Amino acid sequence: MTATPAADIPTVRPAAPHPRRRFSAATQDAIFAYGLVLPVVLLLIGLVGYPFFYAIYVSFTDRVVGNDGQWIGLANFRYLAGAPAFSSAIWNTVVLVVVTGLLKLAIGLGLALLVNQHLPGRGLFRSFLMLPWAMPAFVAYLTWRVMFQPIGGGINLVLTNTGLYPHIVDWLGQRSTAMPSVILAAVWRGFPFWFVSILAALQTIPNELYEAARVDGATAWQRFRNVTWPGIRQVVIITTLLSSIWTANSFEHVWLLTQGGPSDATMVFPVLAYFGMQTQRLGEAAAVSVAMLPVLMILVFVATSMMQNREDRD
Amino acid sequence: MASTRKSPMFASSVSRQLLIGRIFTYAALCVAVLLVLFPIYWMVITSLKLPREIYRVPSLWPQVVTFNNYRILIEDKEFFLNIRNSLIVAGSVTVISVIISSLCAYSLVRFRYRFQGLVGRLILFAYLTPTTLLFIPLSILMARLGLGNSLHGLILVYLTFSLPLSTWLLQGYFRGVPRELEEQGMIDGLSRMGALIRIVIPLSAPGIAAVAIFTFTGAWNELLLALVLITSESQRTAPLALNYLITSDVLPWGPLMAGAVLSSVPLMILYFVAQRYMVQGMTAGSVKG
Repeated sequence: MTATPAADIPTVRPAAPHPRRRFSAATQDAIFAYGLVLPVVLLLIGLVGYPFFYAIYVSFTDRVVGNDGQWIGLANFRYLAGAPAFSSAIWNTVVLVVVTGLLKLAIGLGLALLVNQHLPGRGLFRSFLMLPWAMPAFVAYLTWRVMFQPIGGGINLVLTNTGLYPHIVDWLGQRSTAMPSVILAAVWRGFPFWFVSILAALQTIPNELYEAARVDGATAWQRFRNVTWPGIRQVVIITTLLSSIWTANSFEHVWLLTQGGPSDATMVFPVLAYFGMQTQRLGEAAAVSVAMLPVLMILVFVATSMMQNREDRD
Repeated sequence: MASTRKSPMFASSVSRQLLIGRIFTYAALCVAVLLVLFPIYWMVITSLKLPREIYRVPSLWPQVVTFNNYRILIEDKEFFLNIRNSLIVAGSVTVISVIISSLCAYSLVRFRYRFQGLVGRLILFAYLTPTTLLFIPLSILMARLGLGNSLHGLILVYLTFSLPLSTWLLQGYFRGVPRELEEQGMIDGLSRMGALIRIVIPLSAPGIAAVAIFTFTGAWNELLLALVLITSESQRTAPLALNYLITSDVLPWGPLMAGAVLSSVPLMILYFVAQRYMVQGMTAGSVKG
């Protein structure tokens, strides 16, 4: 790099005593600054930017493995619009995002409010409640796959042993229970992120505000509405956005639990795109991911500006 | 006076309310912890059970503790080869990401220049662009570069999610290092680069450790790209090997759970130990698990 101390120059390069005079200090700093961001920027343009637009291009072609294909306009999208698996994927993705989002919010917020009290042992509870997040996603979903088994699964065993529901159920194998099972596993794995984020926000709310509210005779609900909620609102909104983006694009949960089955009952976009890729029809597969792009981009734009604003404020 | 006579009663009803609240809180938390722990417990005991106990006489604890599932996984399925592949990929991704992201994050935090906001936005955008959209073009790209079905290719594509994440998080940590310390160092004869290496990086060490762990686990956990890019058995990573265990016709729950234990326990211990930094990082940058 160009920024060795000026004192070294005569000994290192006696032949060229003023090599750095060509640029002012400010210009040197600018070159240095650009040089530092360059590797990341180039890699991201090559590995994210270029593939991003390439995916859009491929979705308008009839490309298959081994043949680049031709521009066919909207034919892939027209085909998808008529495919039952595609409409299942839209509906299931929406259900998954909304239902898991609401459950994770309720559970994460509830537990965060409980742990935020000054209780002995709260650190221990926090550590245990974070465990699903520390577990790799693929391990969590493989474990839930075993848990849901009719034979050898923990859920059926507990339900029959306690007499709560004495019948063996193939949770992942029938249409009516497959989606709720996927939701349960996704909530188990996903709630700690909400819990920890909300808990961190709760801890920034000064205690005096609560005391002042109590002195004014505010009820528990009023305290939550006027003190707690304003303190955590922004975190909840950002968490909702991020979690929606991640849930809608998550592949592991459905793939490892049901592979989209039984008969598309749990089919979601990422799994459908992967199946398209497996059948070597790249154009159609790309169209599946690109079809969700408009909604996704709105979420990403809102999330990016909110995260950047929060960062600028800090 | 009325008020003084009243106050003890009032106090006792408050303390009773408090006690009931406490009991309710602890009960709710204990139930939550049990629900969190039960699947983990089930994973561990299933990995220690004999097949007949898993399939015929299921029970809440194993009658006979056996390590046979681990032996099958390690000897017959050569699972340590997969662990080794995962270690190579996740380790390389971590080292590359942390080094070049540190440079980028430092530049974004310390200097003011044109396109800076754009670069920051590009990084966040890349962070939120899902792998689901990228896996098809990336597989075409890697095939064209001759990097399909290789750990090198996997390392390269994993940078798509690790670089934005680590740059984003490191910016937060670097912002916490006072500029005066660096200026002092530069007066004492350090170059810009020297100030970064000698002052900023050591002071952000806990943050860098957290970023390294996040990057490592992100690469360790990845399944979709590995599924698309890796075709030969010898190049499979740990998640990929376990994925192929369940897509075969016979579903070997015992060895599968043994693999689950082996690939998660080290990470979970790491998280328990480094938890404080992890939570800071997670809430600072909103880190996906």
